[in-house]
Amino acid sequence: MSAFFTALTEQRLIGIRSGDRVIVPPREWDPDTGDELALDFVDVGPAGTVETWCWVDKPTSQHPLDHAFAWALVKLDGADTSILHAVDAGSADAMSTGMRVAPRWKTERRGHITDLDAFVPGETAETNDGAKLDEPVTMMDYNATITYTTPVPTNLLRYEQATGEGRLLGLKCPGCGRLYTQGKGFCPIDSVELTIEHEVDLPETGVITNYTIITPTPYPGQTETEPFARVHVLLDGAEIVLGYQGMVDTPNENVHVGVRVAAVWASPAERDENDPMSNFVGWIPTGEPDDTTPGLVNRLN
Amino acid sequence: MATDPHANDIAIIGWSISPMVRNIGYTEARMLLDVVTGAVDDAGITRDDVDFTCAGSCDYVAGQAFSFVQNIDAVGAWPPKRDSHVEMDGAWAMYEAWMRLQIGDIDVAVAMGSGRSSTSDPELLYSMEMDPYYLAPLGTDAISFAALQARALLDAGKITERQMAEIAVRTRRDGKASPYSQVTGDFDVDTLLQADYVRNPLRKHDLPPITDGACAVVIATAAKARELCENPIWITGFAHYTEAHYVGMRDLRTSNASTLAAKAAGIEDGPIEVAELQTAFTHEEPLLVEALGLGADTAINPSGGPLVANPVMATGLVRIAEAASQIRDHGKHRTLGHSTSGPCLQQNLVCILEGSQ
Repeated sequence: MSAFFTALTEQRLIGIRSGDRVIVPPREWDPDTGDELALDFVDVGPAGTVETWCWVDKPTSQHPLDHAFAWALVKLDGADTSILHAVDAGSADAMSTGMRVAPRWKTERRGHITDLDAFVPGETAETNDGAKLDEPVTMMDYNATITYTTPVPTNLLRYEQATGEGRLLGLKCPGCGRLYTQGKGFCPIDSVELTIEHEVDLPETGVITNYTIITPTPYPGQTETEPFARVHVLLDGAEIVLGYQGMVDTPNENVHVGVRVAAVWASPAERDENDPMSNFVGWIPTGEPDDTTPGLVNRLN
Repeated sequence: MATDPHANDIAIIGWSISPMVRNIGYTEARMLLDVVTGAVDDAGITRDDVDFTCAGSCDYVAGQAFSFVQNIDAVGAWPPKRDSHVEMDGAWAMYEAWMRLQIGDIDVAVAMGSGRSSTSDPELLYSMEMDPYYLAPLGTDAISFAALQARALLDAGKITERQMAEIAVRTRRDGKASPYSQVTGDFDVDTLLQADYVRNPLRKHDLPPITDGACAVVIATAAKARELCENPIWITGFAHYTEAHYVGMRDLRTSNASTLAAKAAGIEDGPIEVAELQTAFTHEEPLLVEALGLGADTAINPSGGPLVANPVMATGLVRIAEAASQIRDHGKHRTLGHSTSGPCLQQNLVCILEGSQ
């Protein structure tokens, strides 16, 4: 593949020998036997024949051309397999199976399948001057963008609303009695749906059952710059452990298993009216003596 | 006493299919919760009786890494259960469950498939799942791949655009009787043929709808199936094959992987009365009928098939459930469920079912 993409930067198309066949674009292995192919490359094209095609009236944001074009499987002269690429033909009427096409090269080539801008009808390649790369192509970028739209379940909306009102909202399974939070839609143990009638207000004090100190590495969305604590909190009188909770105004060395903590809510100044979750800030030690219950660290839920 | 011909077979003993809609409006885990409940109820068991679960879903479709971990909530996996997942249609999850039961140490498994295609734009999504060197950077989408294959069939004289429209009309009409349909009704071939192309030579009626949906199937070992079920539906053949991903290396006028899978599943051992095929595009039906070696006496997709509801990642498992329904609910004896994955029918799975009588 490196040889193929390097050849693209030189406005050449190559295939690889596999037995009696020439495969374009090159594969690493023999498609019939799985044997690794020797690096025995052959120049093909530049022109070829359309084996099959379809017409794209409205290109997607990921397509190589921004106007109507054809996709085609093109069997390049000297090749035994076909390459899939765009044909910039103007209109579907200009397309037909068996027609001859040749590559149109981009001016700026970087060792990418789109260095071949598109095929165009005819026998003659449209070459373009432009700098040749000094090194063979060994890496290739592939970037794509897609947007996901996910429905927010009712229970999650109610949980966020409750948080905005300064309440820790839980849901109690009518079957096993287990407590859930963060708007869980159903009890995963009993497979029972949880609804508004199963809501309970959770206590706002508890004990740390486990913790970790995280040294932040920079990545998109990471706002922390110094090592910070994340703790598990077992709520008082409620069979539920809240995982991965933040601490407020607490040095990391004061975080350990058994520390008694209380919920901290945002001051009016800290609150973002558009984000009810901003009302919950984290947990702070109450100053009470540690809970020394044996096995506390094993409480995961 | 005659030996039980199915003593070593695995049987389907229950299933459930979700509503098929453009946007279900709740989570994938919730869709699965309902079909798993439905399937175990249908089998007359509870989640506690299930020894192994296997799910088919796709992180790209869900828009979330490890999305299947949340889906386990639907299984009721406490105390812990043996569980597996395939980034494939639920039909392949059922294949793994079928293999797993043959070890013989456990008796009951649930296979699931689920997908919410409403979450994103399938036209952009599918291209991201392609080979990242030669295909994905071009944004080659599922409809374009299908259109290239349709043209190859048209050029070869294996089908006409009119026949493709007739398939759309037939499946949309058949789908009217199914509670798991999304696009149904009575349509006129000539009217459909007047529509503009989406990807010449494909028109809108040649394409599947965009569907949210899920399916779960309960399977059991022979002894357990006989204990739980009066008329188990026996899986007498189950096989899948794949061929090259890059469509330029294949003859698009046929589907070798389908032919091989059908033979391996024993399709030649007897007539197939009904075949439920994962034909998401109209032209794939005659192609698959020929590749599988099905005759004119085999009814194709009486449920309406993927052209009336296409819950990607569950579409194939729904085919197997519908093929099972033909035996249990419609008096058929030997039926076939087919699933496919990859561009231009790259991978193909065939499941052959037989009734007890």
